[in-house]
Amino acid sequence: MRTLTPGEQLPEWSLPMTPTTIVSTAIATRDWQDVHHDRDVAQAAGSKDIFLNILTSNGLVERYVVDWLGHDAELKGIAIRLGAPAHPYDTLTFRGTVESVQDGVATIAVVGSVSLGDHVTGTVRVSAPVIEERTE
Amino acid sequence: MTGASHDEIMAEAERIQALGEASESRAPYPVNQPTIGAWLDAMGYDNDRFRTGEAPPSMAQVWTMPGLGRKRPPEDPLSRMTEFLTEAGYTAVLGTNCEQSYERYLRVGEELRVTSALDSVVGPKRTAMGEGYFVTSRNTWYVDHPDGRREAVATMLFRVLKFVPKETP
Repeated sequence: MRTLTPGEQLPEWSLPMTPTTIVSTAIATRDWQDVHHDRDVAQAAGSKDIFLNILTSNGLVERYVVDWLGHDAELKGIAIRLGAPAHPYDTLTFRGTVESVQDGVATIAVVGSVSLGDHVTGTVRVSAPVIEERTE
Repeated sequence: MTGASHDEIMAEAERIQALGEASESRAPYPVNQPTIGAWLDAMGYDNDRFRTGEAPPSMAQVWTMPGLGRKRPPEDPLSRMTEFLTEAGYTAVLGTNCEQSYERYLRVGEELRVTSALDSVVGPKRTAMGEGYFVTSRNTWYVDHPDGRREAVATMLFRVLKFVPKETP
């Protein structure tokens, strides 16, 4: 069980974006929009290439926080703002900070960035029993 | 730009908002282990809980995705509002915010239903992408129990920007 302190930083996590990453996660999230698997269609629509879908941005935020907290973590919510697209051959790098711990709920601020800027910015709320407020 | 004026856009927004949870769809398949397993593999994520009966919370939306070649119900409030804005000249769309809340984790075998309502329409706003309206929808996922109880298990506020794309040089 992990003890959380406001200000504490999560270790950085980098994930290489490949066509396989983007296509496999789009299909695994049951998102068949063509811009997530067909480069010709994505480029015709004005994109540089295919790009990561939103359900996967959420899934990766979940994974990033829970892998750090421990698998007994109970997520209460994920709130994200969407920014720069994540294209193949880029790298998606997550950083996080424990923002607050209150009434058994921790809020963890997360940013996932790519070469074009922030891909995702948001917060994850997690509840006890993983959280023990540190009283020293 | 052609089409509806700001007043007409806001009147349409009010009309659709007043319909409340105007559309619903059922998950085509119950919460199931193969779909969870494929999701874990694609995410490069492993977590014993999700190999033994529980589903990752951020998969809530996955269960009710319409599927290849299937459409959302025509009365879907977000679709109706975005189509109205497309007609009004705000042709481009961009997802901007997604806020999910989980009441509990789902379990393998559960059957889900999702409703959709129009939460708000705000605009016109000048953005880096172009001028547009922010359209926010609210989804609520339910599990219906044999005793008639409708249990809300997750909610999502989803916001898109419907905008007039800036001329490309």
